[in-house]
Parts: sequence; C-alpha cells; structure tokens
Amino acid sequence: MQESLRLPNHERPEDLIQRLAARLSRHLLWDSLLIFLPPVLVLVFAVTLLFRASWLNPVAAIVTIMGTLGLALLAIWLRLRPRVPSIAAAARFADRQAGAKDHFLTLATVDPANQPATFLARLRRQTSGYLERVELKRDFPYRVQRSAYWSAGGSLIVVLLLYFFLPVAQSARQPLTLSQRLREAARELAKKPDLKALAKELETLAAKLDDPKTAAEEKQAMAQKLEKKIAEQQKKEEQKDNRDLLGQAANALSGTEQQQSAGGQEQKKDQDKGGGGLQTNAQQEGQGESKQSQGGSGEGKGESTAQSSRDIDQGKSAQGDPKEPGQDKNRQGDGKNNQPDPNRPGKDAQEKAGQTQGGSKEGAGKEQVPAEAPPQGGPPADRFYQPGEGKEGLKGAGYVTVQLPEDIVADSKGETRATKESKNNRSKTQVPVSNVPLPAHVPNAATEKQPLPLEYRGIIR
Amino acid sequence: MEPEQFQAMFKRLETEVQKIIVGHNEIVRKVLIAFFAGGHVLLEGVPGLGKTLLVKSLSQALGISFKRIQFTPDLMPSDIVGTEVLTETNGRREFQFKQGPIFAHVVLADEINRATPKTQSAVLEAMEERQVTVFGDSHLLESPFIVLATQNPIELEGTYPLPEAQLDRFFFKLLVTPPEPAELKEILKRTTGTVAGEVSKVLPDDGGKLVGEMKQLLRQVMIAPPIEDYVVRLVHGTQPEANNGGPAQTTVKQYIRFGSSPRGAQAIILGAKGNALADSRVHVSYEDVESIVFPALRHRIILNFQAEAENITTDHVIAEIVKQIPRN
Repeated sequence: MQESLRLPNHERPEDLIQRLAARLSRHLLWDSLLIFLPPVLVLVFAVTLLFRASWLNPVAAIVTIMGTLGLALLAIWLRLRPRVPSIAAAARFADRQAGAKDHFLTLATVDPANQPATFLARLRRQTSGYLERVELKRDFPYRVQRSAYWSAGGSLIVVLLLYFFLPVAQSARQPLTLSQRLREAARELAKKPDLKALAKELETLAAKLDDPKTAAEEKQAMAQKLEKKIAEQQKKEEQKDNRDLLGQAANALSGTEQQQSAGGQEQKKDQDKGGGGLQTNAQQEGQGESKQSQGGSGEGKGESTAQSSRDIDQGKSAQGDPKEPGQDKNRQGDGKNNQPDPNRPGKDAQEKAGQTQGGSKEGAGKEQVPAEAPPQGGPPADRFYQPGEGKEGLKGAGYVTVQLPEDIVADSKGETRATKESKNNRSKTQVPVSNVPLPAHVPNAATEKQPLPLEYRGIIR
Repeated sequence: MEPEQFQAMFKRLETEVQKIIVGHNEIVRKVLIAFFAGGHVLLEGVPGLGKTLLVKSLSQALGISFKRIQFTPDLMPSDIVGTEVLTETNGRREFQFKQGPIFAHVVLADEINRATPKTQSAVLEAMEERQVTVFGDSHLLESPFIVLATQNPIELEGTYPLPEAQLDRFFFKLLVTPPEPAELKEILKRTTGTVAGEVSKVLPDDGGKLVGEMKQLLRQVMIAPPIEDYVVRLVHGTQPEANNGGPAQTTVKQYIRFGSSPRGAQAIILGAKGNALADSRVHVSYEDVESIVFPALRHRIILNFQAEAENITTDHVIAEIVKQIPRN
C-alpha cells in the first residue's frame, strides 16, 4: 500500500491493466455491434416492409423481430465470450506498448501470496516507471474493423434490393380469392361485438360464393343486400375503427358484385358471339374511384393494403355507374387521352366508351389480337372468294385487321345501350374485319360499298 | 541479499573470466547461470578453443576449490570418487576413505566421452546425487558443486558417447565455437606477449555461503503463469509421440526420436530466472526463456536417422519449435 502511494501519478500498474482490459472489452463490444447491428436493422426493415405489405401478420412480425434481436444478442455473446481479453492479454499489450519486458504481465498474473514481498514491491516500482509510456486513449484507440465495413455495405445492398424488388414481388403475388377476402373481413368484424351479426352474414355469403350450386343472381342479390346493410351501419357508426372495418368489408363485397356481374356478362357474351367490340380492361379503370372508396373508409386508408385497394378499384369499376360525374372526372385525370376532342364532337360520344375503357393504356386490346386470326364479322360477298377459299377465309393467310369503335359496330347491329354497357366489362377481344362496310353517317367514311378490287388483294395479303 | 548485489557479483565474475577468455561472452554467462542455478554444464567444441581455460578461470574467479579429471579409457571410477585405503594409525590398521578428485567445488571432466561408461556413470551419480558411495559408505559432496565436462565432437574413434540418460543430467550443453578474427587477434595479443592476464578472486573467503545465498535468491525470482505455460508448451512441443496438434508437430515428428524430459523444463525456468537476475530483474520474461531454451534442450532432444542424414541439428528443430509455438 505504501508502495503504491509512492507512485508518481498515484496510479497502480494493476489499475492500468484493469482499465486497459475494460477498454479492450468495450472495443470488442463495439466491433460486435457494428458487425451484427446492420443485418439486424435490415431484417427489422424487411419485416416492417413485409408487414406493411401484409405478407406478415403483426404477431409474426413481432415474433420475427424479437427472434432476430435474440439471435443477434446470442451471436454477440458467442463472439465476445472467447475474445474478451484476459488480464494477462491486456498486460501483454501494455508490455508491448511500453517495452516493459513482461513487467505488467508478471505483476498482473502472479499470486502475491506466494511471492516474496520485497520482490513484489520491487516489481511494482519498476513497472510504475513504465506507466508514463502508456496512454490508453493514444495507444489503444478504437478502430473500426474491416468486417464492420463489410457488414454495413452488405446490409445497405440488401436494403436497396428490398426497396426496389419487394414491390415487384408484391405485384407478382397471387391475390386472395374473393371468398377468402370476405372471410378475412368477417373475421375482423367479428372482433367487434356490435358488428358480429354482419360478420356472420359475410361468412354466409362467402360460403354461398364457394357453393357452385347457388345461382349467380342469388349471390349478387345477397351481396347487394349486404352491401346496403354495411353502408347503413357505416353511416351509423361513430367509432372510426369500426367505420374502417366496415369500409374494408364493403370493398370486399364490391369485389363480389364485380365477380357476379362478370359472370352474368360471360353468359351474355356467349349469346353475343360474333359481334364487334373492344377489349375491356377493368383493372385499369376506376382509379379515381379508388380514392373515393378509400376516402369512404376514412383514415383507415393507411391500414388497408395495396392489394385490397386494387381489389376495391376493381370492384367499383365493375359496378361502374356512368352517371356519377366524379368517376368521369377521375378517369379524365388518369389519362389525357380520355379528354374529349372539341374538333370531333360527333365522335366523342361514340369513342367515349372505348377511350374510357382503354384508359391510358391505349391499344391494349389490339395487342391481344392474335396476328394470324382469321377475320371475323360480316362475311365477304361470295363473288370475291377465290377458288379454294371458303367462308372461313384462307387457310394460312395473313389478314389486315382494323379495329373499329365498339359503338359503330353496335349501332350497325342495332344493340341497345344496356348491351353496350354490359360489353364494357367483358374481357373479350372482338376484332372487326377489313371488309366490314362502314356506316353511312360516319364522316369521311367511304361512300362506295364496293370492297377492294381483286387486283389489290394480293398486295394487301 | 538484494538483486543488485547478485547482479554486481555476477558482473564482476563475468569481467574476471573475460580477462582471460576472449569472446564467448554468452558461454561465460551461461556457465555462471548454470553455476548459480545448481546445474552442470557440458561444453562441446573442437580442441584448442579454450574450454579448459574457461573452467580454470571461472574457478579462480570464484575462489573455490577446483579439480581437473582427464578422462581416458583406462580411467576407473575409483580414480574419480576415491577409494578405501589401508592405513596404520597407532599400530592399528584400518581402511580409510581417500577422496577422489570429484570432491571439489568445481570439477573439470575433460573429454568425458573418452572414459568407459562405468567411469562416466560414477561421475554422473555424483552430479545427480551430490554424493558418492564407496564400499557401501556414502560421502556427501560439498556445496557448491559444479561439473564442467568437455567433449570433442571429432576424433570419435575410441570414444564412448554419453548415453541419453546421462546427458539429461547436464543443465546446459554449450557449444564452443571458433573465435572471430577480432577475438583471435585479441587472444594472440594476450597469449604471445609478456603480460599475461590474471584473474582476481571475486568471492570472499566464505564464498560457499555467499553462493548459497545467491542460489536461494535466484529461485525467488518471479515467473508469470503465462510464461510458465509457454515453457510447458515448448517442452511438450518436442515430444513426437504427443499428439498435441501444435504447429511444429510436422517438424517434430519428422526429425525427433525422443523429446525433452521434464528436466528440460526445469532447466529452462531456472536458467531464465538466472538470466533475469543477472539483468537485475526479479521476474522472468519471454526473452529470458527464449535465450535459455537452446542450451537447455539441445542435448535433451534425440534426433532420428532422417535428421542426421539431412544434417539437421537439434538447434534447427528447437528454432522451428520456438518459431511456431506462440507466446500466448
């Protein structure tokens, strides 16, 4: 004790070694944190993304994050345990730094009880002479390990990959079936005691939808009825959460109606086979409508998933009330091509259906027409058939196809507006053929009824 | 006794011996370390390198009794340890023990490998037991006691190489090498002129007691457990049969027939302590160990035929072991 009081800076060499060991341990801890923390943060980020994209439910997300944190702690502990510098190691570092020929090492590791006191005091005195040569901050600064840089870099790359590729993966993900969505909505509603009745009805509807024996009309009627109930309940609800849940249920129901109406249109389409028409793209329609429906669910917008919002859009567009001015505005907002041309007032009305349905993706219908499909529509006059040609057209021959506005074809066939609207929602490509005569009232239309002269047919083919 | 006194005494002895012996500073130092550690030294070198002179100078400097035994094939054990002779005192005849030359503080066993194994073993018993037995009576040797044996690595015809068990009893084996040109010049100056160097006695008259104190002090020198572990790893690393998986294992297995005995580790630690104390330190460092490991192990490691065929010496193998085995 007296010996230590005589030391120049009042610090015992053993204390320096203790402090050095603690400092080296902290360095190791930092190293481990810098190595393991970036991947952990990336994993948490990924889990958050997956949770927000509704790939993970909250419980799974929390379990994953907690598990990751636990594993990270375990990994840090496993890495630290064998590497934590012993007192001997710290003393060796101090010896190397001070050129002390193992003075620190001996002092730190020998058992004082078994050593002569004079020798020990002498050793301590000699060692304290080296204390000035060691300054912990200067001689043992913290340096970030290369592995930490690798960890951070790798994690950054993973974050970027997640950021850019997760939306792609999400878009490629199979959506839930309608009945599944309904059941999910019912499950959510069932959590609220006052909405249990509605939840039960939703379950029933989902069961009906899965039942092939139930008629489409019945399903649609049930869905409409339930939607009305939900709308009424939504108006009555004072709690925001409940309103949001009801909004989600309503959206799911809208999908039901879309499906049922599509089923009905399929039946009609079979009847109308051979008629002209343009391809409908229900998914691209009604994007303005989606905002309305999300607005209807209030602040629950953030909770609703991208997938469900897309489904909502589909549902509303299938309902497609053309009388609503808001819908038209939104459609116009989606694509400038939808705006009416003041120079062509006559065509606006005719082209309206086609343009709104085509949306901003013009020509989607054209792209889906098979290049080698035989011409459909009105058959050419018998006199124009070459020998070997039949009514079905030339085998293996190419044809020029012309896409006409649906209204024109419909007018030429005398279809009603209701039929046209039902065709809007039909996912069917109908391509008029080259030799269908244009109606007389179309401006700049050919007045001559005679088809192409025979001598040009070879060129056109 | 204080470490400074030890160091001062040690330095003075070195200086006195170096008045006669030119060069070989390390050998002088190691011989002194072995003396204070209580060991015996085997000096190996070609004739004329000053081995005998070194021992004589050392004994003069120490001021303690010195005897020289020239080993020859016809030398008998009794010529070394002594024998019972019939004497007549006051008309009575009785056998009286007549001490041999082994009864001295410093014994020079010159060309020890020229004596028969029977004679060699007589010396080796004295070295180990510090006593001799003649006709059933044991006679203790006075302390301090050190045997400095020399042997010639050439002219091996008619010699009896020391068996491994007997070699193991030597604390150090020191190789006496030819002098450097500058040293040779100095040797010539000292030995061919009119003025000859003279060794002064360093120890007082009761030198034996002082040497005892110095020996005791040497054993008190502290050694850190990690350094002890290092010595253990070094010695264990010489064992070819020990599957320690050490980094030098390949070399050891390739060239060593028998590794060092525990005496090797004892010699390293005591030698390292002496080395530290000679530097006025009261603790052993890794450098002390590494400076002692060669003389302490080179005669304790027995090489195999492959090593001899490839002209590999024990020093090569030890150097490889020291290089491969980490300090911590």
